[in-house]
Amino acid sequence: MRDPRLETSPAAPVTPPEHWHLPAPYDWRAALAVLLIGLALIWSAQRVEIDKMLRLTGEAALAQVGLQEESQVGRGLGRMFGALFPFAIEDRQEVARLPGLDRDALPRFTRIETIETTRYEMNQTTLQAEPVVERKEYLVHPFGYLLKVGDKMVETFEIAIWATIIAVLLSIPLAILGARNYTPHPALYTASRSLVSFLRSMPELIIAMFLVLGYGFGSIAGYLALGLHGAGFLGKFYAEDIESADRKPQEALTALGAGKLRVLRAAVLPQVAPAYVAYTLYILDRNVRMAAVIGLVGAGGIGQELKGRYDLFEYGHVGTILLVIFLTVFVLDQISARVRARLIG
Amino acid sequence: MARANPALVGGGVQPHLSFTSLVRRFPDGVRALDDVSFDVPNGEFCVVLGRSGSGKTTLLRSVNGLTDLDGGTIRMGETEMSRATLRAIRRRVAMVHQSFDLVERASVAANVLSGAVAEAPAWRVHLGWYPDHLRARACAVLHRVGLDEIHLPRRAAALSGGQQQRVGIARALLLDPEVILADEPVASLDPAISREILTLLRDVARERGATVLCSLHQTDLAREFGDRIVGMRHGRVMFDGPPARFDAAAEAALYENTPAVVSPKAPVARERSYA
Ligand SMILES: Nc1ncnc2c1ncn2[C@@H]1O[C@H](COP(=O)(O)OP(=O)(O)O)[C@@H](O)[C@H]1O
Ligand SMILES: [Mg+2]
Repeated sequence: MRDPRLETSPAAPVTPPEHWHLPAPYDWRAALAVLLIGLALIWSAQRVEIDKMLRLTGEAALAQVGLQEESQVGRGLGRMFGALFPFAIEDRQEVARLPGLDRDALPRFTRIETIETTRYEMNQTTLQAEPVVERKEYLVHPFGYLLKVGDKMVETFEIAIWATIIAVLLSIPLAILGARNYTPHPALYTASRSLVSFLRSMPELIIAMFLVLGYGFGSIAGYLALGLHGAGFLGKFYAEDIESADRKPQEALTALGAGKLRVLRAAVLPQVAPAYVAYTLYILDRNVRMAAVIGLVGAGGIGQELKGRYDLFEYGHVGTILLVIFLTVFVLDQISARVRARLIG
Repeated sequence: MARANPALVGGGVQPHLSFTSLVRRFPDGVRALDDVSFDVPNGEFCVVLGRSGSGKTTLLRSVNGLTDLDGGTIRMGETEMSRATLRAIRRRVAMVHQSFDLVERASVAANVLSGAVAEAPAWRVHLGWYPDHLRARACAVLHRVGLDEIHLPRRAAALSGGQQQRVGIARALLLDPEVILADEPVASLDPAISREILTLLRDVARERGATVLCSLHQTDLAREFGDRIVGMRHGRVMFDGPPARFDAAAEAALYENTPAVVSPKAPVARERSYA
């Protein structure tokens, strides 16, 4: 540490503090920039109908507190939300469609329910509508649907895990090639960085749609799509951290005759490891959420179930699915926060 | 381990390190090394002394090829330094750095073992699982530099400056180098610790018969520890001889007309040198 007195130059003229010039917190350039950004936002607000959004939201809010009869948003969302409850927990299947069912040895937890429905049918001779009582027997599993959603969620989680593994495995070589100070050749650097940007710029939903064409419906397209997209993120972040790692220990090991890969392992990895853990956990978290979405295009997991029920207007089932997704993401969040604290601290 | 037998390369028959007409120019025209020639015999503790900017770091870094030369040759024993021999030379030379240059987040044990990073089998390096004989050696050198078992799992960043430099020396010693380059190894330490560290460096080098090229900017430390002093200024060798001959005139030739160069942490040293 230097003596603090040495820091002030003795040659500097001494001005009394009342004549000091205190720089303004912002200058005209900053003000102009704010003005321009404001104008651009006003222009854009019309294009995206911010006014309409506010009006409809306001109406919905007023309708909620009873100040207004009804609102468009309230009606649409209300119908939807109302239909989500009660959550569908049980699973029922028509016994008639289960030819192998042994009534004396029902599967565990299940029971058979008989439901009578009355239908009116035209009697061909009397030409009168007559009531016909129909009996249908259902095999009911009291929490069968919850189990099914749980199973789908596990599948979704598996998709997310494998997508993360694929992303990590792809991005390690991409990061080494794409780190300016470790790339074997500038051309490889450019190639790697371009590929990483490309992967990142492709929305996973679109990649999944294409992959479904090649690999068929199911989880393969799902984890490949998420893995490729994730490599677009991790490849970039991993590479940037390699580039900005402290050079001195790297040089110290280079001076001992170590090659690049060994220096990466011994001098760079310990430096970047905490950040890598954080990025990777973020990608895993993102993959769980996105794995639920890409099922919409048939790439496996809970999204596929969600889309099916949504299209059949079975909103109670949709509600169960949304609840399970939320719980999973919430639990994962807690776990990953702990893992992070453990590995980084 | 591929290393020449020091007995063959030294002993007055042939210098251990030999610099001939070294030149290093930087693009801005600075000549960091300007026709530097001298020899270092086997086992000598040779101090390169000079004020900041005199070319000490450039000289030391040219020995293990961290700095490229614009002219001149460096020989280490029989081997002339070139692209082809660089790897081999680096494995025989270890370096101790001014700012320690440890991997701060890694443990002391990992830092010392990284001294073998060029020698251990690749898979072991990548798994971080070094062979038993190296692990045993790591413990032995750590003990030699004055650290304890409790320090093994500790992060390097959690040690004091003096302890970090001890780890730096342990890392350098791990593979029994024939030459130790120490670039201002005590510049960021206080005077008392500086003496401890330089004593340690001199002693461990003697025990192993290693040749040391140690740059310093404090004349008192140079006199105290050097078997020999090579004084540099503006990239040129201004003095070359035993500490006994490093008199006021020689010192003035290195430092006059320049602001006093002392470690800011060492006001005592300043008074002694410039009384
Ligand atoms: N990378 C570099 N680029 C330009 N000039 C440099 C560079 N490294 C060192 N120099 C210059 O070379 C001269 C010698 O530097 P250096 O060897 O670091 O001196 P010392 O270690 O004795 O302080 C100084 O004038 C320094 O400014
Ligand atoms: Mg220096």
